[in-house]
Amino acid sequence: MSVVSPKTTSVPNPPAKRPFFDWRVWTVAIVLLVAVGLAVLFGVKQNAQQGFFGMRLFPLKTAYDFKLHGANGAEVRLDQFQGKAVLFLFGFTHCANICPTSLTNLTEVYQALTPEERKQVQVVFISVDPNRDTPQTLEEYVTSFDPSFIGLTGSKPAIDQTVLAYGGSYEMVAGPTNQPNDYSVNHSAYTYLVNPFGKLELLYGNEKLAEVPKMVSDIRVVLHEPRS
Amino acid sequence: MSPFPHFPRLLAIGCWLFAVVLLLPSAPFALADNQVAITVQRPWMRAVPNVMDTTAVYMVLVNSGSAPAQLVGGSTAIADSVAPMITTKEGEGLKQVVGMQGVDALDIPAHGTLVLEPNGNHLMVMGLKEHPKEGAQVDFTIKLEPGDHEIHLKIPVQKKPVK
Repeated sequence: MSVVSPKTTSVPNPPAKRPFFDWRVWTVAIVLLVAVGLAVLFGVKQNAQQGFFGMRLFPLKTAYDFKLHGANGAEVRLDQFQGKAVLFLFGFTHCANICPTSLTNLTEVYQALTPEERKQVQVVFISVDPNRDTPQTLEEYVTSFDPSFIGLTGSKPAIDQTVLAYGGSYEMVAGPTNQPNDYSVNHSAYTYLVNPFGKLELLYGNEKLAEVPKMVSDIRVVLHEPRS
Repeated sequence: MSPFPHFPRLLAIGCWLFAVVLLLPSAPFALADNQVAITVQRPWMRAVPNVMDTTAVYMVLVNSGSAPAQLVGGSTAIADSVAPMITTKEGEGLKQVVGMQGVDALDIPAHGTLVLEPNGNHLMVMGLKEHPKEGAQVDFTIKLEPGDHEIHLKIPVQKKPVK
């Protein structure tokens, strides 16, 4: 047995008449307007300065000047690219999933830049597997993504020093066949952005690289509003 | 005297009817368990440079059946072997390393999906004998359990995911 509550009809109180120029209402309105205005101004400014998509390092420090080997075995140093923004990442060419995905995304980012901007950007892939990745293999590998990309590798100590300097890590993992050349490499999958002044400025986890417009916007800020 | 003398019998009949209604939908699927109800969406193989001896195949597997299934492997004439892989992440922050690890099977839950995608789960294609270029089509077979079930696919070769 349910109890039906008697319906009550509420009679709204007639609104009290207020004069149009009620100083309390106007004060509140003006204070709110000023607050919103300030917040917007401040927010926009913050955004322009620190609204990076990548993880920004602060304070900016000079990026470790790695010395590795390029296509024809010639030494390549990070400092050679001063004046350019350098995006580099660690990997290996036997990597079937993460590395080609990152490089495909970086290709899209790079190709979304204007030709002028592209001249000021260098993408570098550093192999942590010098045993299987020769400079020639690497050259063919990276240029298949974009002809401007550079592949570097070096002696194990030189690679280890570079990985360590950037706080990264890697390890070889034996494959199922136990053959000496059957192994995979677990590695840091960050992309590091070094600004035109040679300062390490931004970091991207591998999944972030797929956000092409946001990546492009970061690179543009680094190129056009440079901070030393 | 109860006003509903047939109530206990009616209740019993009601219960039986309810049980039958509950069981009905699962009956055909139970029968179809040997035939895995899996469909494949948006499959693609990554186009890779000639220096690579591996590539990956991605797709979405949809299980419309009420029994779980598993993707256990695959095969293609252009490579030595195909294996299901997961992506692993170890450590935190800068020290985090990302890798991949072979697994015996990837689960496709009942009424669920298994997503194979860049940076995630995938079928690794090892020992490439040919390097099909972007735009090519590759004959590719996936193997599912239960029932040692195979699905034959024509997979497009692309540099980027199927939109």
